Amino acid sequence: MQFGVFTVGDVTVDPTTGREPTEAERIKAMVTIALKAEEVGLDVFATGEHHNPPFVPSSPTTMLGYIAARTERLLLSTATTLITTNDPVKIAEDYAMLQHLADGRVDLMMGRGNTGPVYPWFGQDIRNGIPLAIENYDLLRRLWREDVVDWKGRFRTPLQSFTSTPRPLDGVPPFVWHGSIRSPEIAEQAAYYGDGFFANHIFWPAEHTRRMVELYRQRFAHYGHGTADQAIVGLGGQVFMRRNSQDAVREFRPYFDNAPVYGHGPSLEEFTAQTPLTVGSPQQVIDRTLGFREYVGDYQRQLFLLDHAGLPLKTVLEQLDILGEEVVPVLRKEFESLRPAHVPVAPTHASLRAAQAAADGETPAGDLAGTGAEAGQ
Amino acid sequence: MTARTLAVVSAGLSQPSSTRLLADQLATATRDELVGGGDPVELRPIDLREHAHDIVNHLLTGFPSEPLRQVLAQVTGADGLIAVTPIFNASYSGLFKSFFDLVDAETLGNRPVLIGATGGTARHSLALEHAVRPMFTYLRATVLPTAVFAAPEDWSGGTAEGALRARIGRAGRELADEILRRPAASGPADPFALTTNFEQLLRGGDPGPS
Repeated sequence: MQFGVFTVGDVTVDPTTGREPTEAERIKAMVTIALKAEEVGLDVFATGEHHNPPFVPSSPTTMLGYIAARTERLLLSTATTLITTNDPVKIAEDYAMLQHLADGRVDLMMGRGNTGPVYPWFGQDIRNGIPLAIENYDLLRRLWREDVVDWKGRFRTPLQSFTSTPRPLDGVPPFVWHGSIRSPEIAEQAAYYGDGFFANHIFWPAEHTRRMVELYRQRFAHYGHGTADQAIVGLGGQVFMRRNSQDAVREFRPYFDNAPVYGHGPSLEEFTAQTPLTVGSPQQVIDRTLGFREYVGDYQRQLFLLDHAGLPLKTVLEQLDILGEEVVPVLRKEFESLRPAHVPVAPTHASLRAAQAAADGETPAGDLAGTGAEAGQ
Repeated sequence: MTARTLAVVSAGLSQPSSTRLLADQLATATRDELVGGGDPVELRPIDLREHAHDIVNHLLTGFPSEPLRQVLAQVTGADGLIAVTPIFNASYSGLFKSFFDLVDAETLGNRPVLIGATGGTARHSLALEHAVRPMFTYLRATVLPTAVFAAPEDWSGGTAEGALRARIGRAGRELADEILRRPAASGPADPFALTTNFEQLLRGGDPGPS
């Protein structure tokens, strides 16, 4: 099982001090959080991609490339890469480039983006969200898998004898997750290709996530990639921890009450009951997180949202310490002991390269453990 | 024989509420028509006041609390809908609109809807025609020709008699007729149901219902 953090990259006023970080501070804070994630033993750092204030991460591969140079083991990912408004040719090139620089420590999560005005800034229309996600991703896969591509579609200029460079590292494209909150079509897309499915989870009732994951698993089996319980599932989670749960609640409440997404709506207690948000002791986070498995089955990746709603960097780093020292080691052990042998761990560059070599009838060369964060360690 | 379900939504705020009273009388008239024809009826009275906070929370968070989810399912899965709002500032109440803003555009399609309103003066009565009816038309519901407005003078004497009574009776007959013209509702649509397959999507097919 892989554990990590994902960030939206929002610049939000700290409601307890009235202070708003600068863009520079926020960008550097995201890097610091990523480095800390590796330091405390997490596996994954995933950045959002946004093209409108108050968000800063418009250029994920620039940030991830920088983080790659300063980390050894951390798997670099996105949450999400906009498959709708980015040119699939540029995604293919950017992330193949990142793969080489990061020695394969790269995967991606595709998402559509839900802000209407963003689409026309990139020459698109939100009403084509699903068709764009389908067509662009199908092209992206071909660009990574075929050295020379002839292609014609609805949304971008045709390609003739086009080769996307650099080619994916070792000829192995990055693993892809598809993120969606409520579109069955995206669960279907993930299932069709045998890709991973990531349920945002954090802003929605558990029942909602259960249904989406169940659909993905059924269709994954339908398309012949394995049994339903072998499908590759990731979940978001949102936590705030202090040694004593009352302290956690007291400290987090002003951030919750003023948070951009759900602030000024339900109470902290209501939202905690209705969604996976857990505000309390490390043990409460452990118990709640283990409970996710009961409604989505054995899953492969758990990402936590820690740095939002104006929480200061110092606090976020403290959260990462608690997560790395007290929560994740227990979760790792527990999840691993519960996982049946036939349920795979999340694919990494190493495992995908080995699988490809096996399919080609070769013995993989080199030290597999040297590339990519090995899951379940 | 299948019981027909009738969701009866009132956006009245006071208790007791004349809006609830009108909704109940419309429900009774409709039920009497249906039962008289031999069709059992299940009434689902819904007071939006009880769900006011959940309605606002849903607008802000994008998902309903469990009680509100059940209420929405009761409305979108019913054979017929009676929707009654007080008229505030010449239109439906904000609570009434906010609730129906949470109803997905497709889920009330072809559903018979009887609309009613109460107001402090009879001069508000056309709000039913310029505000409430267009909203349900947008939702592709079948809005019945008779809409029922009750002003203070209609309640004088404590019971609705005369013109209002006749109007309620006619509206109830219209709603019962429309319900009976349709097969029994099969419950709310499943938002997670896959209505396409990937080959279709890849060909650029409409991801809508196949």
